[in-house]
Amino acid sequence: MNDDCKPIYLDYAATTPVDPRVVERMVECLGPGGCFANPASSSHAPGREARNRVEAARRDVAAMLGAVPPEIIWTSGATESNNLAIKGAARFHADRGRHIVTSRTEHKAVLDTCRQLEKEGWQVTYVTPGPGGIVGAAEVEPALRPDTVLVSVMYVNNEIGTVNDVAAIGALCRERGVLFHVDAAQAAGKLPLRMDEICADLLSLSGHKVYGPKGIGALYLRGSPKSRLEPLIHGGGHEWGMRSGTLATHQIVGMGEAFRIATAEQAAEAGRLAQLRRRLWDGIVSLGGVHLNGDAERRVAGILNVSFEGVEGESLLFALRELAVSSGSACTSASREASYVLRALGRDDQLAQSSLRFSVGRFTTPEDVDRAAAIVRTQVQRLRALGPDGSEAHEAAI
Amino acid sequence: MNTDQLDYSAEVRRRFEGAPRHGRIFAAASERRCGAAGNISHGVRVEFEARVRQGKVLECRFRAYGCPHVIAAASWVAEHAEGRRTAELDWIDPQALAQLLDAPAHKLGSLLVVEDAYRACMTGAGEA
Repeated sequence: MNDDCKPIYLDYAATTPVDPRVVERMVECLGPGGCFANPASSSHAPGREARNRVEAARRDVAAMLGAVPPEIIWTSGATESNNLAIKGAARFHADRGRHIVTSRTEHKAVLDTCRQLEKEGWQVTYVTPGPGGIVGAAEVEPALRPDTVLVSVMYVNNEIGTVNDVAAIGALCRERGVLFHVDAAQAAGKLPLRMDEICADLLSLSGHKVYGPKGIGALYLRGSPKSRLEPLIHGGGHEWGMRSGTLATHQIVGMGEAFRIATAEQAAEAGRLAQLRRRLWDGIVSLGGVHLNGDAERRVAGILNVSFEGVEGESLLFALRELAVSSGSACTSASREASYVLRALGRDDQLAQSSLRFSVGRFTTPEDVDRAAAIVRTQVQRLRALGPDGSEAHEAAI
Repeated sequence: MNTDQLDYSAEVRRRFEGAPRHGRIFAAASERRCGAAGNISHGVRVEFEARVRQGKVLECRFRAYGCPHVIAAASWVAEHAEGRRTAELDWIDPQALAQLLDAPAHKLGSLLVVEDAYRACMTGAGEA
């Protein structure tokens, strides 16, 4: 293959390009003639104009959630939102208890934050997902204790795209008086997000997963009854004292516009992405020895995680370098560690190590998908033929 | 992990793409030797087959399940085995092979599997 040609981008779950409509709005906030003033500078008109744009963006993000604008706190992204939610809630409520429940398949931004709290004296229970990788109330309830102060479960799994039953977990937590945090970085723009249905007290969002810019995110903090947090960053008292620091107007405006577009287009886009995902799966499954990871039905439209029998993960990824896809396997590291999410689902080492995540998005075309499926078929057959089980018939593929 | 983390030398790329000396040996049982090492569940499995006459390797072929460095190493060994005496085993040095292929230090274990498979083939041990 020609290494210089641009790969087909099928990694929208990792990040998305900024939508040109979003770029247009962001550019208005940059440069000497733009709306560049500090939104905290209420003493002059440019500052007030910047503040107006920040608040309009806050309304757009709140509208996606069915929340009210003061419940939205700007952060640098979902990782910071997760840190603020988990550490902030745990530390604020430490006098009530020091036990947290989360799942084994959370993003590292949640798992590593919980591990940090363990070092500080908290106890954390990591529940194993149910069939198909779904986490629901049945998995969480047995882990709850009288001293549990927080449950943190992601809405959509970033590796396999499965949708957890956060509404049931939220209802359970509300009934038990336990705070509930949802990492919704992979859900925003892909699923309807209604806070009255989810019953979350805290919810993390990211701009760059929704065709907005990187470096901006938000934390939903339920206002009634009010959720309370210990802030992580001090200095200036911005965002009601929850997150100090000068607000990045252009990024906030970009995230607001991205969320406004996503809210308007989500239903139609979900249908189109589901068709593309099915088309990709149909194009790959004919190979045989191909396994879908995660529940087949309860999943977001754009993510397809697949394991291949008889091929090694690193070779597979290199053979597929015409595609921009992700592997859960840390196979360049000394540990050759397979995806912890797939291991939690019970996949054996070989299948966990040979998994690929394909994620389609707003700018993916049917032609991209067809070309990708053809490349996968060719390369998987070639690698299988190289292996110990390769038959003479396979050798023709090399 | 993403593809931009995958940085391989030109030699590895060439052998990974073309897989020279991959395949099987079709020879009389008296001339055919086989050897293997490693385990697919551990991420590396290498098999060698050779046609040997009067203690000399006439042909050698490999099959491999592993990362591109393993495939390239097995290909290199199969190619360089031809013409050598079967008793001659010390010419494979995994560290030198790692250097030749520009393989990172953590791949040395995988390259040892390649050496073990070749030794098993030449000594008639079958499975290392």
